[in-house]
Formats: sequence, C-alpha cells, structure tokens
Amino acid sequence: MEIKTEQFSEVAREGLKNAHAHAFLKLRANFVRARRETALSTFPDAAAAQTYGATIRGEAIARLPELLEEFEKNALANGARVFWARDAKEANEYIVNLAKEKGIEYVTKGKSMVTEELGLNEALEKNGVKAWETDLGEFIIQLLHLPPFHIVGPAINISVEKVRDLFIEKINLKEPTLDPVQLGYAARLFLRDKFHRVRMGITGVNIAVAETGTLINVENEGNIRFSKSSPRTQVSVMSLEKVVPNLEDALHLVRLLCRNCTGQKLSVYVSMDNTPKKDDEMDGPEELIIVIVDNGRSKIYQDKIAREAMRCIRCGACLNSCPVYREIGGYAYGWAYSGPMGQVLNPLLLGLERTQDLYRATTLCGACKGVCPAGIDHPSLFLQYRAKDVLSEKTFRPKKRGPTERSFFRLWTWAVARYWLWNLGVRMVRPFINKEAHESVLRNVRGPFEGWFRSRDLPAMAEKTFHDRWKEIQNQNPEWKIQKDNTQV
Amino acid sequence: MEKVKQSARDEILSKLKSAPREAVASRPDRPVLKELSLIRDELIEMFSKNLVQETGVVHRVKDRQEALEKLSQIAQEERLKKVMIATDDVVAPLNLVDWGKKNNVEVMTPQDFGNRDSYVDAVFEETDAGITGADFAVAESGTLGLVHHRNRARLVSLSPILHIAIVPVERMVAVYEQAIEKVFGKKESLPSQFCFVTGPSMTADIRGIPFKGMHGPRKVIAILVG
Amino acid sequence: MEVISIFIPCTVDLFLPHIAEDTVSLLRRAGVKPIYHKEQTCCGQPAINAGYREQAKKAAKHFIRVFGDDEKVVSPSGSCVCMVKYHYPELLAEESEWRRRAEELSLRIYELSQYLVDVRKVEDVGASFDGKVAYHESCHIVRGLGVSEQPKKLIRAVRGTQLVPLKAADSCCGFGGEFANSYPDISESMVKDKVEDYLSSGADLLLLCEPGCLLNIGGFLSRKHPGKKVLHLASFLAEYQETMNDKR
Repeated sequence: MEIKTEQFSEVAREGLKNAHAHAFLKLRANFVRARRETALSTFPDAAAAQTYGATIRGEAIARLPELLEEFEKNALANGARVFWARDAKEANEYIVNLAKEKGIEYVTKGKSMVTEELGLNEALEKNGVKAWETDLGEFIIQLLHLPPFHIVGPAINISVEKVRDLFIEKINLKEPTLDPVQLGYAARLFLRDKFHRVRMGITGVNIAVAETGTLINVENEGNIRFSKSSPRTQVSVMSLEKVVPNLEDALHLVRLLCRNCTGQKLSVYVSMDNTPKKDDEMDGPEELIIVIVDNGRSKIYQDKIAREAMRCIRCGACLNSCPVYREIGGYAYGWAYSGPMGQVLNPLLLGLERTQDLYRATTLCGACKGVCPAGIDHPSLFLQYRAKDVLSEKTFRPKKRGPTERSFFRLWTWAVARYWLWNLGVRMVRPFINKEAHESVLRNVRGPFEGWFRSRDLPAMAEKTFHDRWKEIQNQNPEWKIQKDNTQV
Repeated sequence: MEKVKQSARDEILSKLKSAPREAVASRPDRPVLKELSLIRDELIEMFSKNLVQETGVVHRVKDRQEALEKLSQIAQEERLKKVMIATDDVVAPLNLVDWGKKNNVEVMTPQDFGNRDSYVDAVFEETDAGITGADFAVAESGTLGLVHHRNRARLVSLSPILHIAIVPVERMVAVYEQAIEKVFGKKESLPSQFCFVTGPSMTADIRGIPFKGMHGPRKVIAILVG
Repeated sequence: MEVISIFIPCTVDLFLPHIAEDTVSLLRRAGVKPIYHKEQTCCGQPAINAGYREQAKKAAKHFIRVFGDDEKVVSPSGSCVCMVKYHYPELLAEESEWRRRAEELSLRIYELSQYLVDVRKVEDVGASFDGKVAYHESCHIVRGLGVSEQPKKLIRAVRGTQLVPLKAADSCCGFGGEFANSYPDISESMVKDKVEDYLSSGADLLLLCEPGCLLNIGGFLSRKHPGKKVLHLASFLAEYQETMNDKR
C-alpha cells in the first residue's frame, strides 16, 4: 500500500474543504458516541470493564514472547501450520508461493489491516493471483482504488451515488438505484459467486488465544466465515500483538471490542478456529495456515514505552472520538492505520522522519485515551515521539530538530530557572511583538506565527505583566504583605 | 564452519525475549457477569428480546410435534421449496426428510451429495433455507452457539438466505463463558470451528446506513423447544 | 486566614494579566489570602510538548523549588496543573528525591474552580448576571483533571444566570499550543465548530477556565464575530460581582 504520510497537510486540506464529508463526520460522531455509551452501560461497571481490558492487553504485551510460543505450540498440536515472517517481503512471498503452488487463480479476503500494511493484494496481483476484497467497504474502495477512510468503515465517506455508478460500471448493476439495500444485494450476488468457487481464503485475526491455539474473527457480514469455510485452504494473517493469554480474556475483549467499535453487544459472527476440518466434515479448510508477522514490531518491542502502542485491538473508538479526525477524515494519515491509533502505530512502523505530522497534528485533547479499551495513552506517546526527534534516537529513524528551535529552547531553559532573566526577556520581546498592535489587538505578527493570525487576533502583550503588577497590588493592600516564610507580616 | 541462518521464528522470538522485560501487574478482579444471577425463564426472555432487537424471529414451542408444526408454518410463509439441513442431535430426531415429504419441501443433507463440491454447489445455489440445531442459546446478547462438525456443516447456517435454528431450552445459558467452558473444556476434542451467531448478517458500510443480509442469511428464526 | 500560593501561567502573565487579578480578587472573596512568588516563570509545558524533556525537567525543578513549601497552590489554568500533577513525577522519575517532591506537590496543586468548590467549599461568590451563559469544557480540565461540575456549580450560583448547554461542550476547541500555529487550517476548522456551537446555543456569554482556550476562541471571535464575548470564569465572577447596592 502506498505510503503517503508525508503528504499529511496537503491531504488534510483536501479533507477540510470537503464540507459534505465534514457534515457527515460531525453527525456521525454524535450518533456513534451515543451508541457506544449505551452499549457500555450494559456492563454493571463500564469503567471497570474498560480497565480490565487494559489490564489484559498490558499483560499480553508484557508476556508477548511466551504467549506467542504457547500459541504456536497449541496451534501446531491442533494441526495448523505456522509460518513466521520477519517482514512484508517474507510474508507476501510465502503466501504468493502457497497460491501459486496450488494453481490458485483468485483468493477471497476478509478485512485485514495487517494485509494492507503488507501490501499483500498488490503482491498477489503482481504474481497473477487476483485478490477479491469481500467486506463491502473494502470491496468498494478496492474497485475505486482508494485507501481506507476509516479502519472500521473504509468506504463510509463514499456517496451512495458514487457507489451506484461504480456498481453499474464494475459489477453489472442493472437497475440504477440509490437504495443501499439494493446496492448491497448487487454486491452480495457478485461476491457470492467468488465465495462459491474460491479455493483459498485469506483473513486477518482479531484475537489469537495462547492457551488453546484458537483464532478468533469478529464480523457482521459473514464474508470472513465464507472465506474460512468455503475454500480448502485458509490463510490467517496476524501481527505479533494479537495474542492474549486465554479464552476468558478473549471473551472479555470481544465484548469490549464490539461495544467500542459499533455499539453492539456482540457482532453478528464471532468465529473461533482451532483445527483444519476433521476428515468427515463436508466443508471447512483442509489446511489451516497461520502467518505470524513481525514487520518492525520486535524492534518496537525493545522500547518499553513505545511498545504500549501494540496494545491496540483495532476497535476504532479513538477515530470516532477524535476532533481532528472529524475534520480531516482518514486519508490524511497516509497509510493502513488512521486516526489516533494510526498516529501511534505508523511512526513506529515507518519511522519518525516520514511521519512527523502524525504525532504533531494533535491538540493532545485526550479524547482518544479516554475511550480506549486497551489502555493506550496516545497523548503521552505523541510526546515521547517528539522527544525521540529531539534526542535523535536512531532506532526510531528520527528527524533532527532545526537550529532555530534548538537555540530557542536553550535560551528558554536558561531563563526559566532565572526569573529576573525571564522577565527581562519578556520586556525585550514586547516591543517587537506589539509593533503591529492596534488598540491593544494584534492582527498579525511577522515571523513564525503566521498560522495563528490567519483567522485569529491576539491581545497585545500587556504593558505590565501580572508579575509587574503584583508589587503595586501589594502596596495597595498592605495587609496582604507576606514574608518569605509565607506568614503574614 | 558455515553459520546456519537463524529461522525467522527464532530471530523474532529471541529479539522479543531479549527486550527489557516488565513485571506483570497482578490483576484486579474479573468484572462480574450480572446475567449469571438470572433463572431460566428470565434468560429465555432476555435471549428473545435481544435476538428480536437484531430482527431475529423467536418462536417458543412445547415439543418436537409443535416444532414440526412451526416449521410447516414457516415453510409456507417463506415459500420454501428446497432446504439444506444439518444432521445434528437436535435436527436428526425430527426426521425432517419425512416432514419435507408431507410439506412439499425438498430436504437435503450435505451427506446426500457424493462429494464436497456438489454439496457446496447445492448449498450456494439451490437452497432456500438452512435448518440446524444449536448447542447453546446465550441470553446476554440473543446469540446462538454452533459447534461445527460432520453433522453440522458450516455453510448450512451461512449460505442460504434464511437460517432456522432449533434449540432445546435446556441449552439456554446466561453468558458466553458457559458455552466456551463446554466446547473448549477438553484440548483433545477441540472442534474445527465454533461460532457465535447473533441474528442476520448485516453491514452499514454504505454511508453508515445499516441493512441485513450482506453475505450471510438475511433472516434468522430461532425455535426454542421445551 | 488560609494562605494560598497562586501560579500564574505565562499566557496569563503576558497576554491576559487581568485574569490573574480577577483570580486574586475571587480568592479574596472566598476568604483566602493569595500570595504570588515572584520567582515563578513557566511550568514547562512548551518544552515538554515540543519534545525537549531535559529542558522541561529544569523548569520542573525550578517550579518545585519555588512552590515546594506552599501548603496549597492554585492556578487559573488546568493545563499547567496537569503538567505539574502528571508530568513532573514522570519527568523526574529517575531522580528519586525530585520525584518524591514532585509527587508530594502534585497532591497540593489545584485548578481554581476545583479549589474553590472542593477544598474551600465555596459556590456562591456573590455575583449576579441576568442572562444566559454557556460553558466550554477544556480538555485538560474535564479529561485531565476530571473537573466538570465545579465550574458549573460556581456558574449556577450566580444570581439571575441561566446555564445553557452546548451541543459538544467537551470537544476540543483546536488550541493545542503550537498546533494552532502549525496546523492552522485544522485548528481554524475546530474553533469554527466550537464557535458555531456557542452562537447557536442562545448564550449571551461563553465561559471557560483555560487561558489557552480563551486566546484561541477569543482570537477567532475578535476576528470573525466581534460582538460576541468569551470570558474566563474568574473574570466573569469579578466583572459581575454584586456590590452592596445590588444586594439591597
């Protein structure tokens, strides 16, 4: 998948201009928020349930290697095949070869963000294997050659008109209709044929259970169940962090995932795979192949703070709560993962240098942290990434900060601990700042603050700071004089 | 001596293991599952309410006889001509082949077909409804629990546009854990797949507008027996 | 009389000093004696937000030196209080004595409305305003400190005032410090939404407790809606303080 993280500002601007999308996202945000809150209220103690989810994910990350080993052991004992891939190249090569060995012409795919990260579809198609996305949203954006707009609803921004025209052009929609039900039905028929004859299905993994070697998928449409049951070969792709200790933990996370994601108590289908089909079963995979993908995660794992980003269970609640996402939509984030979870993950997987905007285009408002069932502190991670740039921490492929900024903070540090110098600095800077002031209002200040003044004024710097005024205030109120030891005179 | 290249598995695991480790915090108490305190009638009511909310249909019948009568009624309403049935421990005793003859419905089982591909063709193209039993009915969300095995093929409950599930009320449980305990209790006898199914297939991928029957069944009917 | 040490954020000191004066007057009406340590400078937020942690540590240590002996520290800014409470212990985690002092100070520092209502147990500060007001819930205050009811209690106690709801009171106004300048398009879109919410709420005034939000929303109003006002809660309570004549 093409990486466009360096075009953040450009694409964000496009997103901002789209008043239609903006109105839609705003309306949707309120609706989704209410649904999530209602769903969480079915817990006797919603906050405790969220905290428990965070505990499970924290433990999963802390015990990652042991849990992966346990998962592999049990999966192998169940008769699954397990392939470990260091990176996208290895994962894609393996899956492409699997398909070619078997003479596979096409695969059906369940929605899997890790396969988008790997660029798996492109690799398959380059090698003559067609990859059909079958989740309706993914199917639509595949036909449109667009990236996902939202990790849960990848085509949620596409107008019904556009879908109609697309389906007329690409999938033989006969009646030009704007009824989403009819459009969905057309997609159902088209993809049904693919499910019928598919020989290899590729899906992601929501949760991998270490204790039993079980793979869990959560979906509403049924395309994942089809991709696992109709073909003779099932390939399930998971990134390292999908593993959890046991089934009770998995069930708790599934409850949280569904409520946080779509406001459902449970999604329509939760399918749990253990083994290939038994000999006497009439459908199901003869081969169950699990691909475990690293792609930079074992490197991230070396940093105790950064690896907290791996707690993510891909529920999308952070996207739904983010005021910035609401303005710019998903394309600006430039890769498989968007919104706050993309902002914490993409920089670690792609390097800080090419993802600068992802952890700087945030007000640190904390809405994401507030809804996260996995306990991720997004704002704190953003600050950590900024610190890594400043310290030039090589493992993260940082971008060195400019000399002006570094000089500024050198000066700032010197002054912050010396109040007389601080106040002197204020006095010296005031005439420059206030040069353009008119009736104590600044409408523009030359220099690096052009962004602010595009649409906002600023009060002129006060002729007397409060610091200056305090002495006068005290003199006006002699009973207020306080001695150095904080007692009254 | 040539150094053998470390396998990807070993390389990844050793990298993870050599990272700074963290003491695992002790867990707080697992949150309480409030549904556990309900009695069966309350569970049945909760199950029905939840499934109906997802546009599922719930019928309560006394016994096998009434179940068959209900099926006749459904066959008429839904104009069923050909159905694919499971041969599991709930459906088998109903003798649906006989019922089908009496009700002008052609009743097929996966085993009727000599081979997998013919069965798959039939369940994709020629089936108006799939009829299966269920191993569990979970009250907390109106969810069916289906173990897949030789007598309950997967596509029977997934491919046809209508899924009819017959569930003895004794199999009603409050929460998912009670189903999972039974299914995953013995490591040696794990099923190939276990599914929780809550109502019809759905999507809201076009402009957030929800509708049913995306890829799986558009309608789900649960017949609670007992 | 209780002595309260006030921390005045640099935004207020430099651009909005009247908020500091209103804070002083408010605390006096609540029956406390505010003192102001002239050695105070900055809590260090600009440094930590820009990734300059070593530099932020120096600010933290200076702050702890200046305020370390005070029984209670109060500030008319939630983001500064969050910085001290949550970031100082984490910044100084590796220096055990400093960390201890930071943790200890974090128990004694309050945002203004939080102090008045929770600690001082004061809600009625003797103000009256005949009209409708709306309240913007700043990110650091509502999510960082969990303070939401306290400002509203102070507002509801103002005679004649009706508190009207905003559609998205706790949605970020788009300030975020450097963000407003570095990502001005996004920031403008966010403050525009916030102002639309205010304008359609029927409120005569918008109130808030965070100087950064005030500069942001106030700056946008000044440019695009010059008639409409936004006030810091301390300024509102000061401006509409009842005099002896009002009470008769």
